[in-house]
Amino acid sequence: MEGLLAGLPGAMPVFLAPAPWEDWSLFGEQIVLGLLTGALYALVALAIVLIYRSTDIINFAQSEMAMFGTFAMWSIWLSGVPLFSNPWMLLVLAGLFGLGMGAVVERVVIRPVEGKPVLTIVVVTLGLFLLLNSVATWIWAQGELPKVFPSPLSVLESIKVGFATIPEHRLLIFAVGAAAMVLLGLLFNYTKLGLAMRATAQNPLAAQLMGINVGNMLTVGWALSGALGGIAGALIAPVVTLHPAFMLPVILYAFSAAVLGGLNSVPGAVVGGFIIGVGENLLATYTPRAIFGPEMSLPLALMLLVVILLVRPTGLLGERTVRKV
Amino acid sequence: MEMNIWLFLVLSLGVSGLVRVAPLGSERQRILASLLVLLAFMCWAPFVLDNFRLIQMTRIATLGLALLGLNILTGYNGQVSLGHGAFVLMGAYTVAVLLDRNEQLNLIDATPWPFWATIFVAGFLAAAAGLVIGVPALRLSGPYLAIATLAVMISMPIIVRKYGTFTGGSQGLGFSRPPPPPFLEDLLRREQWLYFLCLLALVVMTFLAWNLLRGQFGRSLQAVRDSEVAAAAMGIHVARVKVLAFVISAFYAGVAGALLALISGIVNPETVDIVQSINYLAGIVIGGLASIMGSLIGAAAIVFIPSDAASELAKLPFLDANMLRRAPGAIQGAVVIVVMLLMPYGVAGAAHRLLRLRPERALARWREAPALARGALQRASWAWDLRPRSAGQGPGQNRPQGEVVSHGEGGKATDPEGDLTKGGQ
Repeated sequence: MEGLLAGLPGAMPVFLAPAPWEDWSLFGEQIVLGLLTGALYALVALAIVLIYRSTDIINFAQSEMAMFGTFAMWSIWLSGVPLFSNPWMLLVLAGLFGLGMGAVVERVVIRPVEGKPVLTIVVVTLGLFLLLNSVATWIWAQGELPKVFPSPLSVLESIKVGFATIPEHRLLIFAVGAAAMVLLGLLFNYTKLGLAMRATAQNPLAAQLMGINVGNMLTVGWALSGALGGIAGALIAPVVTLHPAFMLPVILYAFSAAVLGGLNSVPGAVVGGFIIGVGENLLATYTPRAIFGPEMSLPLALMLLVVILLVRPTGLLGERTVRKV
Repeated sequence: MEMNIWLFLVLSLGVSGLVRVAPLGSERQRILASLLVLLAFMCWAPFVLDNFRLIQMTRIATLGLALLGLNILTGYNGQVSLGHGAFVLMGAYTVAVLLDRNEQLNLIDATPWPFWATIFVAGFLAAAAGLVIGVPALRLSGPYLAIATLAVMISMPIIVRKYGTFTGGSQGLGFSRPPPPPFLEDLLRREQWLYFLCLLALVVMTFLAWNLLRGQFGRSLQAVRDSEVAAAAMGIHVARVKVLAFVISAFYAGVAGALLALISGIVNPETVDIVQSINYLAGIVIGGLASIMGSLIGAAAIVFIPSDAASELAKLPFLDANMLRRAPGAIQGAVVIVVMLLMPYGVAGAAHRLLRLRPERALARWREAPALARGALQRASWAWDLRPRSAGQGPGQNRPQGEVVSHGEGGKATDPEGDLTKGGQ
């Protein structure tokens, strides 16, 4: 994230930071900043978990779907229609676009390979990755101008909360992320649709016998996941330059977060996202730059991912599944 | 004399294909003969193709090795790896460091290694890395392994950039490509010599792979892929087989990386990026999983789709050439998805089915067509009540006795779907 947020003042420590016991406020600030970034990772991790729970598919094209949606929003913003020049409106539209895209992808690309071997499905989502990445390059990555995505709040200004100085946009990331998670929790726990979706994830056959349209539930799951991804893309876009690979680091941190929390656990994804966010910030601040430093935080997160997979493949909160032979 | 590459490919594949199906000799002899014919054509290639196409063919040979390795792991053994590019990158850097060692940290200021030795070192180093990754990979399966290997692949270029004193950082390492040996100097240009080097490596290692995969080890690989429990019950040491698959496949990737470095003369972190690594998997899927020929077809697809498919498609009236040329991956991604949906066994699988197609059976199916059509017409005419009949008579009573029987038989005997699908599997 430090690499992504390089444009922000104060985000990149030039020198080795003083140890926590010498400067507690810096330590606290890093924790808070980490939590704020973690909300973004949690959001994307949630998108991954949502699909994995219901279909046992890991959607490798998640990042590219979000990227594609963000670019589409950027075009809409540039189109100059007064209604769409409002950044808040854009955020909503990003979610809606992701919703539609997720549903279409599930119906058109994923449905035909349902129930096929893992390799087939992995390859199909990777094909989607190549396709979307390339089409975005084709449509949008032609000009050399840095593409700026609008944010409802200021990207450069910060507010002082107690000991921490927090850029306004990061607060927005946290607020929107948390709101999305709360809404999702309400949907799952207090609506009939959520109940049907949980039933489908738990036992598709039994759910079908109870009169639930399983196919529709899978589409809804993919649509929701696409919406989360789209919102995450629109949230991170203002602080990075918009290019076809800008979601790749985010999705990798989110993979780590999802695996850390347990790939089939919704609370796990949230917890994992926050842990990864905080861990990344602390690592970037308190390790000697010659050996690790900010640019190594992605490899280290990925190493953590591999280690978790080896030591505890179900993650912190994931359920152990029994496989029949 | 220069020849269009498509003409050349059609000619070589056509002639060797004709030899393959010619009604002469035994099956074994025909296969051997067609492969020899293909090899002869490939040896002729550097003298009839222009330089650009020759370099492409060289790239296909090296990528073919990498894809063959990946196919041993993914196609034959069922372990999905998105990180094979990491092994290729490792092989390439090994060669670069060994050939360019004078500038490397002043480690040893001896003369550079002979280039052929570096290929082996690269292969064995990659195999060692394969062992290091293969053992923990035992605990992972399916999508988890895909994520973990993706993580390795993503980390590799970042690490290479970070610790740049040894690897040259973002700029990478450059060295001079090996010239042809003295006794060939008058005969071959450097590009031609490198082509033959890669072709030799490809032929030798393809033969080794074929020899390995047709025997007990190949069967164990596939048994483990299809069911680990069943394989273990049959006395196969599952863990050993899976790790060995990783090691062998990494060896192939390392050699491929070494050759890739030798033919380009420069190695940097972008030599193999994440998209390229995903392309390897896409390649074996397009070509055909668990198929040696499929690996080579996949390599050709990886090389030719970006260079040619875009410009060919751009000739369509409604597409813009410049737009398409910027997005070769769009075609590749679309091809992968379509192949996965329509030809789950890839191009090689489709070709194999075509080879097994029995023309006489297909004809037999058509021979029944008139009878079927007559029956259908008759039923239609009954349904529409076209025949005169007395009151109280149902359509069934009107049916001529003999025809019902023959019709029933015909229906059963000409159920060609089952026959063909059985024969084609």
